Amino acid sequence: MGRCRVSKGNGYDYLYVWKLDRFLISVSEYKYNKFNVTHSSTLEGLTVRDDVLVEIATFLSRRWSDKPKALVTFTEEANPKTSPDKNQIVLPHLRGYAGNRFQKYRQWRVSLWYESMRLKYSTRVLSYDHAFGFVLNALEKKRIESIGLDEWKGMMDEIIFDEGISWLNRPLLNSLYGVQKLLEGFGQLFLTGYIKGELFSSEHDKVAKAVELATSVVQEALASQYQTKWIEEQVPRIIKILQVDPLVLIPFSTIRSRFGISMSESELTRQIEKIVRRRRNAEKNIEKSVNAIVEGTDILSEYETLVRESKRHENEGYENLENMGISIPPRLDVNESEVYDTNLIHKTKAKFKEWRTGWIERHDRSGDEFDSEAFVEFIPTPFIVDLKLTIKTRVMILLDHSSSIQEVELKYKQVTNALCEALSFLGVRFAVYAFSTDGKQVKCWLIKPPNYRWSSICTKRLAQIRASGGTPLAEIYGLLEPMVRSFKPEIFFTLTDGEPSDTDAVRHMVLSFRKIGSHMVALGLGRNIDEAISIGQNLRYLDYERSLAVSKLEDIPKKVIGLLKG
Amino acid sequence: MIIGPKGTGKTTLVKAFGAEIGRTLYPVNFSLRTRESHLVGTKTLENGEVGFVDGILVESMKLGGLLYLDELNAAEADVLLRLDEALDDRRQVVLKESEGQTITASKGWTVIATINPLSHVGTKELPPQLLSRFPVRLRLEYPPEEVELDIIRRHTSIGDSALASVSTGVKLANKLREAAAVEELYYSPSMRETIAFSKLIESGSEAKYAAQLVFANVYGQWGDVEYQKVMDMITSMFGN
Repeated sequence: MGRCRVSKGNGYDYLYVWKLDRFLISVSEYKYNKFNVTHSSTLEGLTVRDDVLVEIATFLSRRWSDKPKALVTFTEEANPKTSPDKNQIVLPHLRGYAGNRFQKYRQWRVSLWYESMRLKYSTRVLSYDHAFGFVLNALEKKRIESIGLDEWKGMMDEIIFDEGISWLNRPLLNSLYGVQKLLEGFGQLFLTGYIKGELFSSEHDKVAKAVELATSVVQEALASQYQTKWIEEQVPRIIKILQVDPLVLIPFSTIRSRFGISMSESELTRQIEKIVRRRRNAEKNIEKSVNAIVEGTDILSEYETLVRESKRHENEGYENLENMGISIPPRLDVNESEVYDTNLIHKTKAKFKEWRTGWIERHDRSGDEFDSEAFVEFIPTPFIVDLKLTIKTRVMILLDHSSSIQEVELKYKQVTNALCEALSFLGVRFAVYAFSTDGKQVKCWLIKPPNYRWSSICTKRLAQIRASGGTPLAEIYGLLEPMVRSFKPEIFFTLTDGEPSDTDAVRHMVLSFRKIGSHMVALGLGRNIDEAISIGQNLRYLDYERSLAVSKLEDIPKKVIGLLKG
Repeated sequence: MIIGPKGTGKTTLVKAFGAEIGRTLYPVNFSLRTRESHLVGTKTLENGEVGFVDGILVESMKLGGLLYLDELNAAEADVLLRLDEALDDRRQVVLKESEGQTITASKGWTVIATINPLSHVGTKELPPQLLSRFPVRLRLEYPPEEVELDIIRRHTSIGDSALASVSTGVKLANKLREAAAVEELYYSPSMRETIAFSKLIESGSEAKYAAQLVFANVYGQWGDVEYQKVMDMITSMFGN
């Protein structure tokens, strides 16, 4: 609740509207599920998880905007926010949109596209809360839509759907007053070509003239390739026609408000038909077009994949993990790109790529020179041997994020990310956990569960863990014991840079893990060779089967993967 | 030496260069199966007589042609050793396989090698002494969109009506290449794929379906999500 601000004087009881909204959404979901059995029966009751959504959103926004470091996060606010200077898009959450779950996803996807276009083509995005920002954002929306559709023609159907389904959400102009009424009227007429409700004749004149000017401004900007700055300079002319104070606060931000109720299928079809007729007046087979837009078959398969992926994640028992004292780093607004050292990842992958499951040739020879005739006649064994290479090892990795890592935190994360990318590339089944201290409490973090592929979500989780606290290894091993018993890793790697604070307890836990059948390996990280050797020797006394030491962080992937081959 | 990802036109460039300078091209494509004997030659037995058939290296040296070593960094170490010998300043190779005969390269003998970046499957780092035999190195990246379209036109006979779809296909390929470069996708499409896409369009396939066949389906091997990411881009670009 609390996602929209309601003006004091509009007479709505927020709670009532919210309840009505929920009720109608559930009715519409029921209808949707009932009448679209072929493609939605398997989706009933399932939602798209935030981590799955943020992965596809990040991928799409980066491709749509051509900004390889674009970042997408979610907000409970009604309107999206884009910061071109920070390469950041903040989108309302799926639940902030109206309709059934699939319809919500489609509208959310359209919002993501618009914001990606803003990221690419706008240099400034203002708040919708005041008149100046409201008008500028509306003009920019029209401009970027036109430029964006040149490249992404397939978005047209989805934009029509979004416009159609938003119709009921748009407020009736009769119910608004003053500045709010004028601006909403301007927004509706300019962006959709219609107004919902009525305006007084003087108001209508102002709105119509403002829309006429706004349309010519956008057309000129498109023709002359003017950018946001030029558009911004034209906004006062429009504000002047509307006769509003540019800095006046709009009591209820309406332009993309998702506050409202859902539509029935026939209402939606009618609205979409109107828009198709207006936008594509030359189109012959309108009915077919309208049906295709309402059904959204192309997007449905995408949505189904996301739902299936979400279900797969839920099966991994995330909820139970919390009860076991293992936390999932919660933030999704983390820029994981800083943890990606592409060169290091390439180098690591290149080093081990021959280990990928597959066939390689081994060239055997003996003697000084190869005599082909002698070979053909006398050597009974084949000259070339094909060996099947497979690494089926199950690996569990525990990453130390104690305070002593702070100095090299970024490099440490880049290296561990490269290690995980390489393990994923090699097809190794692995799980990654980390530990740190958060507010005086020792935390064991899940970075990657065994059955989940290494993805940007795992990197986001890794990137947000702040190195702090000591090295309470035994305590962490205790928390991980159920996971070790169920996953049964063949090798358990512990990456640490110091002596554990509880050596006897660690020894006990190491022995207990060894009894389960896991080879316990410790990798000591030192700032120089001497320190690395010293840490390595200390770790040896803790009953690890093997302890290694590195003084260069870049050597970690080589050491870890090297052990898998042995 | 030409360094560049697969499908950027390295081979086409070498062929064009050979034709331009009027030199016969002796191409050899390296793989794990390429043996020393492919380069230097092999003994034969005919009517009880032991003979020797020149390999492509020896033949090109004798005739002063243009030896093209394609995907050199996929070759095995023993094969590279023989090249090392031939490419040093003496420009000669001793055929221990043929009674120690010394072959000296004719005037005009030229060698061009191409290598794929090390991130490609099956590639290895070349030994430094062999790298130094190729002091002039060109880097070939995927061409700009207009150039790629121009190349496609030469390989197909697409009309103006199909040009918009083909252009969109090239844009899509570029987006996928960018995503693969930052490790967000597992595979980067080459110009072979954009040409194949254009040929499908030329033969009357619907653009979106052709894009699915050529660009999206390959990602299915890495799971539904990877495939769907690419399909989503295709849907956004081509629509219905």
